[in-house]
Amino acid sequence: MVDFFVSTFGMSPTVAAILAAGIQCALLLNVVAVGALVFIWMERKIAGRIQDRLGPTRVGGRFGWLQTLADGIKLIAKEDLTPADADALLFKLAPYISFAASFTAYMALPFSDGWVAVHVNAGVFFILAVLGLEVFGTILAGYASGSKWSLFGAIREAAQVVSYEVPLGLCVVVPVMICGTMDLVAIANMQSAGIWSWLIFHDPFTFCIFWIYFTCAMASVNRAPFDLAEAESELVAGFHTEYSGLRWSFFFMAEYGSMFLVSGLAVILFFGGWNGPLAIMSDKIIGVIPGLGLAGQPNAWGFIAGCVGAANFIMKATIGVTVMIWVRWTLPRLRIDQVMTMCLKYCVPLAAACFLGAVFVKAEIFGLGYLSVDAWLPGLRSDRLEVREGWMTEVEGEGVTLSTEKTLVHGDG
Amino acid sequence: MATNLEDPRIIEFDVRTDEMLVNMGPQHPSTHGVLRLVLRTDGEVISEVTPHLGYLHRCAEKIGENLTPRQWIPYTDRMDYLAAMNMNLGWSLVVEKLLDHELSDKAKHLRVIISELGRIASHLVGMGAYGLDLGTFSPFLYAFRERERILDLFEEVCGARLTYSYLTPGGATADLPTGWVDKVEAFLRQLEPIISDYHELLTTNAIFIKRTAGIGIMSAEMAIDYGCSGPVLRGSGVDYDLRRDGEERYTEMYDGYAYEVVVEKDGHYPQDRNYPKVPREAVLGDCWHRFYVRMLEVMQAMDLVEQGIEKYKSASGDWGVPIKLTQRLPKGDVYLETEAPRGQMGFYLVSDGSAIPWRVRARSSCFCNLSVTSELCPGCLIADVPAIVGSLDIVMGEIDR
Amino acid sequence: MLLAAVDWHSYFFMLFAMLACAFAMGVLLTSNIVRMAFYLVLSLGATAGLYFLAGAEFVGAMQLMIYVGGTLVLLIFGVMLTAQSRFVSMKIRPDEWILVASLGGALLLLLLYVAFSVPEWRMEHPHPAEISVAETKLAAPIGLALSGVRLDDGIGYLFPFLIVSVHLLVVLIGAGYLARTKRRATSEN
Repeated sequence: MVDFFVSTFGMSPTVAAILAAGIQCALLLNVVAVGALVFIWMERKIAGRIQDRLGPTRVGGRFGWLQTLADGIKLIAKEDLTPADADALLFKLAPYISFAASFTAYMALPFSDGWVAVHVNAGVFFILAVLGLEVFGTILAGYASGSKWSLFGAIREAAQVVSYEVPLGLCVVVPVMICGTMDLVAIANMQSAGIWSWLIFHDPFTFCIFWIYFTCAMASVNRAPFDLAEAESELVAGFHTEYSGLRWSFFFMAEYGSMFLVSGLAVILFFGGWNGPLAIMSDKIIGVIPGLGLAGQPNAWGFIAGCVGAANFIMKATIGVTVMIWVRWTLPRLRIDQVMTMCLKYCVPLAAACFLGAVFVKAEIFGLGYLSVDAWLPGLRSDRLEVREGWMTEVEGEGVTLSTEKTLVHGDG
Repeated sequence: MATNLEDPRIIEFDVRTDEMLVNMGPQHPSTHGVLRLVLRTDGEVISEVTPHLGYLHRCAEKIGENLTPRQWIPYTDRMDYLAAMNMNLGWSLVVEKLLDHELSDKAKHLRVIISELGRIASHLVGMGAYGLDLGTFSPFLYAFRERERILDLFEEVCGARLTYSYLTPGGATADLPTGWVDKVEAFLRQLEPIISDYHELLTTNAIFIKRTAGIGIMSAEMAIDYGCSGPVLRGSGVDYDLRRDGEERYTEMYDGYAYEVVVEKDGHYPQDRNYPKVPREAVLGDCWHRFYVRMLEVMQAMDLVEQGIEKYKSASGDWGVPIKLTQRLPKGDVYLETEAPRGQMGFYLVSDGSAIPWRVRARSSCFCNLSVTSELCPGCLIADVPAIVGSLDIVMGEIDR
Repeated sequence: MLLAAVDWHSYFFMLFAMLACAFAMGVLLTSNIVRMAFYLVLSLGATAGLYFLAGAEFVGAMQLMIYVGGTLVLLIFGVMLTAQSRFVSMKIRPDEWILVASLGGALLLLLLYVAFSVPEWRMEHPHPAEISVAETKLAAPIGLALSGVRLDDGIGYLFPFLIVSVHLLVVLIGAGYLARTKRRATSEN
């Protein structure tokens, strides 16, 4: 883009680079903001349907699709209150921290093969780390509001999120372990041979761990039945009791941003990312059947394959968000001690057991290797490229050599 | 040597925490109106709860001493506004008792139909709002959807949807419209399968059971000591229902009706044949049981309405012409309690011989039911407070009057 | 590549470094315990930004997760300990200022001396476009080094890693000890 600006408008490279960066930032931010807009509308529509209502019907013509925008305008027009008892600086900053944390994580989330703002090598880890920062805004909000209900909400959130990061991390490690990389693009590309190459169907343990991941993800982004930080029947509105107007909507957008983010992460880790159930854009479908092989080509076909992939990815992640919405409007809320029990007594041991099982499958110990799909579909196995980053290739006497480049190793080779 | 735990030398080490005084209400989403609970909490654990009342006091009883009994009927509507028909009935019966006014069979069956429909409507709200207290929104709207149909029926009868003033001393303000009972039957046929939806969404939901079973356990003795009544009393396993055990003037309405009082006997409820079994975690007298009694009472009321319709169709006599607006009352005092949806609703009337009562008092069921909160809540978590208060199903309009 | 014409890395490096320093000063100068923790988080976050710029993405993410997460717990402790009197401020006496300033100043001088004594850092640095960056983003060497295997000639970090872990454990126990209270055992227990 910089080249384009310089060659077309004759700008100086510095100005062009700043302009390009600005445009890309705005694009990313708006993709997420518009996403939140759509998801809020979707939540209202789905909630309405679940409850025998219609949901929004009027704003913007059919289906009330502009309802969220109208709400946004209303929120902007509302008075921006700061309670007299609040720590004004932190109170005002807190929403931005939540918001920024949620949106920063999008930087490393690939939408299609190579369509990622920053190709972070440790993408999984980066997203988890940045997502964990979101709770910081919540805690500051709760503390700075000067309200007891807010403080209750904040402390609950802190306890919950810090606890649920443990099983969440354990769950995420399993696909990372199977693929041998933390690079999200590489992980998704390894699932490009159709539905059976998706990691959720890799072996029984990955199947189990996906559900644990989804539960923990819901807990870590504060969705019902784990929305204790804002439990309206107990804590009025929890940590955002004292917020109004636009500041409140930042928390809201952060929540929806995180929802999509964890769903997207689930899609990449377990559901093949941007690869469809029949990945016709890749070169082979289920190992042996030749596909179109368009994905990854540096031409217009590759771009089209990218678009299809992005649509695929967004659709799958949206299904994840829909399930979260569905659960929210169906189940009662858990109590704080039950939430913690669930995490420490069920999620952590289950995740650990599944992790162990997945290790056994991967290492083919105790004959558990036969639980893996790879063992039964040899074509798939040979097609699944293993990305070993910096793997120890040989041990010669005392010297260990490390191949510092990424090596692509055929599974059976 | 046995250790005495109250020995001052025994000191336990714990994380240092401070007590917090929190105001729950009067503006709080789950205090059912304008109840104010002052909570003393240690972290999330409640150590003391004090209910504060009076935010909805409208001097209804004093007003009753300046109006004739029929004029006061609209004020009874506004006591338990979710079961206004049953409030009307309570006051009407008291006045009739003073006047020694006898009703025709038809009028009695009409009252059974109306008041049991009112009970269904009231329990539906109680159920939905309880779901709301526990953080699930959808059952509330499902409950309101069916309640709306009852309100439609009531609207056809008296023109009002919330404050009916339909049952009056002497009978009712008008007979049931023609064809109305068929609509009621159609509604009941429709409601029956929906009840199992409610059971699926709440009664048997794992999270619901976790949140309610074993929480706020009230023994039968305690329930009696605090003067609890209605589903709260029966949820603790006390077999007491004024429709069966009340005064002759009230129970004669239900003569010839087949129904069983909803109370747990030998570990199961009379009607639990087709309905979910009591979960293992549930303890008699906990929130789950109170909720379940209410759900079963909806079924019971549906049965009663069906029977009432049969009897109403074949009954003789008029629908009960109301007494005159300025009917002179005989000297004396009367008291009568009826089984309103939330418990025993009593009215006390003292007359000095004029058309206007000299004293009017109401005995609120919710007031007694609410009084147990300060006993049940200590030791619970904050999240249990809405669960317990919700299971008592209070209406502040009745408590404050 | 025109983007390379501008030395972006250096600009951002300076920016993040200055942010980290500024927020570190903020920790020093503010008297509100929660704000201190807040500035500490920002300072550590800026440091994570430095790691990302240096291409050590894994370490950067680690910095975010561990330090920022750890500060979070610190913050909660702050809130818990000051819940009684809200927004408690910590006043520092002048003699404490002097003590801390001399100690900190000495450390800073030492650090500066060490920094300037590294010969590689004193060379005239080539233009960034001419540097061929080695693949430094890999996490495996870090993991191996932490478990005691170094691929180059150095020694592994197993022992320091262990020391740090024990240190953290001690800190945790200490925090628990500081926060405890004596209470008369009640008859229910």
